Order: sequence, then structure tokens, then C-alpha cells
Amino acid sequence: MAEFEVTALGAGRYRVSDGTRQRLAYAAGPPHARWVFIDGHVYVIDVSGNRDSHTRRAHDDDMALASPMPATVASIHVSEGQAVSQGDLLVMLEAMKMELPIKAPRNGIVKAVACARGELVQPGVPLVELD
Amino acid sequence: MFRRLLIANRGEIAVRIIRACRELGVESVAVYSDADARALHVALADRVVRIGPAAPLHSYLSTDAILGAARESGAEAVHPGYGFLAESHTFAAACTDAGLTFVGPPADVIARLGSKIAARQAATRAGIPVVPGETPADQRDVTIADAARRIGFPVLIKPSEGGGGIGMKTVRDAASLPAAIAQARREAAAAFGDGTLYVERLIERPRHVEVQVLLDRHGHAVHLFERECSLQRRHQKIVEEAPSTALTPRLRARMGDAAVTLARSAGYLNAGTVEFLLEGAGDTARFYFLEMNTRLQVEHPVTELTTGVDIVRAQIAIAAGEPLPWSQDDLTQRGHAIEARVYAEDPSRNDLPQAGSLLLYREPTMPGVRVDSGVVEGSDISVHYDPLIAKLIAWADTREGARARAIAALRSYPVLGVRTNIAFLIALLEHPAFVSGDIDTGLVESQRAALLTSATGDPPPEAIAVATHASGSAGPLDSASSTSADPWTTLQGWRG
Repeated sequence: MAEFEVTALGAGRYRVSDGTRQRLAYAAGPPHARWVFIDGHVYVIDVSGNRDSHTRRAHDDDMALASPMPATVASIHVSEGQAVSQGDLLVMLEAMKMELPIKAPRNGIVKAVACARGELVQPGVPLVELD
Repeated sequence: MFRRLLIANRGEIAVRIIRACRELGVESVAVYSDADARALHVALADRVVRIGPAAPLHSYLSTDAILGAARESGAEAVHPGYGFLAESHTFAAACTDAGLTFVGPPADVIARLGSKIAARQAATRAGIPVVPGETPADQRDVTIADAARRIGFPVLIKPSEGGGGIGMKTVRDAASLPAAIAQARREAAAAFGDGTLYVERLIERPRHVEVQVLLDRHGHAVHLFERECSLQRRHQKIVEEAPSTALTPRLRARMGDAAVTLARSAGYLNAGTVEFLLEGAGDTARFYFLEMNTRLQVEHPVTELTTGVDIVRAQIAIAAGEPLPWSQDDLTQRGHAIEARVYAEDPSRNDLPQAGSLLLYREPTMPGVRVDSGVVEGSDISVHYDPLIAKLIAWADTREGARARAIAALRSYPVLGVRTNIAFLIALLEHPAFVSGDIDTGLVESQRAALLTSATGDPPPEAIAVATHASGSAGPLDSASSTSADPWTTLQGWRG
């Protein structure tokens, strides 16, 4: 990776330079989800150092298996102990008059279903646990 | 002029109306739901009234709650903004019955133009072309085929009770008619329990072009030219501009006249928008009446920047009984304006609306750029309401100048903590079809994959360097602890 010189300018602003050309960037958020803005693009980067694969997979699962917003559980399509393949529909949510499918992020076995039909679920809370 | 005006809305449009009130010396009354207690429109208004819980049905859509707030605050007029109750004729009538001035057209006009069928009839009576179409009374296949031949190919055959494109068939020649009719009928019956079919001329690659009109109580009517609104995703506009690249001065004058004629003949008052489908471009283009929006439009700023008319201010002045200060000849279009709607949504997940806190939010300020927003840094984007965060409008003397300004401004518009469509908007403004001005209502969906590719991607090394540095110098920036005014300020000078 090329070397970049980064200077904190305060209030979430950073100057990033490759020695010749510089840009203004912005950053905010916790280490496991650091938001960075450069030139119209936003990236969410994990800099928590939690690189071990087990934690990482657990984190990825949590992201994929949770609702991105408060939503109502419209239907549940799997049960405990069931084998699922990547892309299988696990739970159908409904929010803002839109259907919102929660799909399996990888192959696995359903360890637990942590929601019920009709339940109002909050963002960030996994709805299904995979082995 | 009114002494006090209540704004029956929230978000950027409530802020916009408060600003117009301030210029007019009218006291503003904001209403808010529990979800909006700390919202920008509530902070800016002269008076505020809580109207209920977060759910719109019990707050921003509650006529009783809003009329109660008007009574309590002593408001004389109500501006409905757009959305919520803006096109409710019963709300407009309730305001009038309560002795309040509704900033908009009369209730019966809203009711008439709100009905697609009645509006279409009104347009036809006023001599404005509508998309040729009919529901044959005799629904036998042969009669439907006759209707198709009469209307002219290509045609759309669709369920008369339908919506959402279900059962809709495109037919390009007489030979394909029998199979298409049979299939449309089957699908219509299955989906809507009614096999009645409607036959309509198919407008290929249509543009959506609308005309802004203003009518006062003294018999004056003007139009403020057109807005080009063809760039839509999921039938919702995301980029609008004025003028339209498809219009010639002659076509512009014809469409403007048609819009004013329709508005006059419908007994319209105040600001309104006549929407047209445009087929082709230039003097030979054909336009068809689509519908009339009996309210302020989201995209009104592109007209304001190109005509110099403050439409919100004009609405309030008209409602207060003032005459329009200009004749049609006084009005001209100058330069070019482009609006980009910034939504809290994730384009890579089917535009799924996003909610959360704006950890960092800085609006660009530069010559020729206007941002109409309803948020500040630290604001919460709620799941209860429309995910529109702001509208960025760029003006320049040429279209290319406005486009470059809009892109430069979007590239300097950091919004962190909630995903937005900013990168997608940049990709759209840079797309060759937009650059050339050769656009139609299908462009965004047909180019979605390409637009997404340029709007998304892995973080470049600079971004990773910044993320890592921010981590090293600032330590964990827990969004939950953002109660301190600005965590970054306190960390200034640690390094660098």
C-alpha cells in the first residue's frame, strides 16, 4: 500500500496526502464501523483490530441477520436445526410499506430463531443465529 | 398579510416555509411529533406545538391535531407543504371551516383535480391533449382489438382496475393482439378479480416535463416555465432541472399556455404544477396531460433559481389576497438549475431507506449552490418519515456549468452515520446520457447496474489511512456518547 500522510484538522476533518496531491477527508464513528468520506464517496471501515476470523464472522453474521431498521416480522421461513444455503430466505420483514428479506449470508445450520411473527424488531439485533 | 402562519409539515419543506415567513414578517408556528422534538424546523420556528406521537396518522396526518394547534397558537393561515395533508381536500375544507386560510387552491378544486378521471376530463374539455386511451364498454376481444387499432400502435393493454404494471402488455402490431388480450385478461382477473381491460397509446421513451403555474384571486395567471423531471427511480424523482433540454421556445410557449388554460378553466388558485408526458423533442414533440399537483412541489427550487421568483413567498402572498406582481411578459428563464435529492437510502440494497444519527454532516457552500435541508449534524433520521435529507440545487449560466457545480458540491458534502445516495447521484450526473441531455423516465432503472458500479466499491488506500489515523489519534469515537457537543473538537491537537 502506498504511504499516505494523514493530518487531523479537527472537527472530523483530515488532510490526506500522498506527498504530491492532497485531499480533504472526513471521518466519524466507532472503530468497528469507522465512516470515512472522500470525494463524494463514503466507506465504512472496521479498524477495531478484531481480525480473528471467528469474531469477524460473528460480526458479519450479526450485520446480515439483523434488520437495518425498526421493522415488523411478516413471516419466518426457517426453524431450529434446519440447514440453509447462502441466499436462502430466513425471515421476511416489513417496514415503511416495503418487504425486507433477511437472507442467509452463508451456508450453515440454524442454531436459533430469535424473533416471532408480528414482532416489532429493532436494528442491530440478530433475528436468526447460525451455527 | 397574515400575522401568524402554521406549517402543517416537517423536514426541509417546513424549514423552507419558516424562512419565507421570516422574510415576510409573518410569525411561524411549527408543529411536531414526539420523534421530531429536537428537529431543525422546531428549533427555527417562532412558536411550536406538539401534535402527537411519531406515527404520522396521529400527528402530521391528523386534521384534528393540526387544527387544535392552529387554535392554540392563534395562527391565521395554514401552509401544508407537500405530502401529508397537502392534497387532502377534506383538510383544506376543514381549515376554511375553522376560519383559517389554507395556503393552496380551494378544497373543491383539489377534490376535482385529485381524481385522475375527473382531471383527465377537465384537460380534455380545456383542449389539452391526454394520452389516447379508453375502456371499451363492450369488452369482447374484437372490440378491444378495434380500440387498439383506433388508438394506434404501439399500445398498452392493461387492467382497468390495475396498478404497479401487473397484467400490462405492450402490443406493437395487430397480429400480436389476440394473444396479448387473452393474457392481459387472465392476469387482470387473477390479480384484481376483474378482467376489464383498458387500452392506451404507448408513449415510447417519454419524458416527464411539468409546468409551474401561479394564479391569484384577481384573475391573473402566469406560468414559470418547465421543469424536466425524467430522472426517477421507483417512480420517484431524484434529479430535476430547468429548463428541459427537449423544449424549444415554441414548444415551451405551447406547454405553458396549455398549463395556464387548464388551471384557469379548473378554477385554480395559488401555486400548482401541471405534469405532462413528452414524446419526442423540439417543435415536433407531442405532449400529453398527466395530472395536476395541487401543491408546492419538492423540486420548486430549480424554478426559483431560473426565474428569480420565490414560489413559497408567492404562495403566502396569494393566500393573503395580494395580486401577482408580474405579468407573463415580465417572466423569463435565466441560466440553468439542477436539483439532486439527497436521500437516506442504500442504492446497493434496492434504495432501502436508512435510519440513524448524522455523526457528521457538513453542507457544501459555494457560489451558485443552494441546499434546502431539514437536518443538522447530530440529527436523527427517523424511520417514520420520508428519507429525504436535503435537496442540493446548483445554478449556472449554462447546463454544463450547473452540472459541474452540482457534482463539485456533492463531492464536498460529507454525510456520515447514515448511508445516502450521494455517490449514486454523482454517478448519474456524470452519466453520458445525462451529460448529453438525452434522457427519459426509464434511464435510471436501465442504467442502474452501471451507476451502482461507479457509486460503490472497496475503500481506496487513502480512506483506509484516514480511518486508521482517526482511530489512532482519537480513540474510540462511540456514537452513543455524542452527547458532548463535538467529540472531535476536544481531541484537536493530539497529533498532527
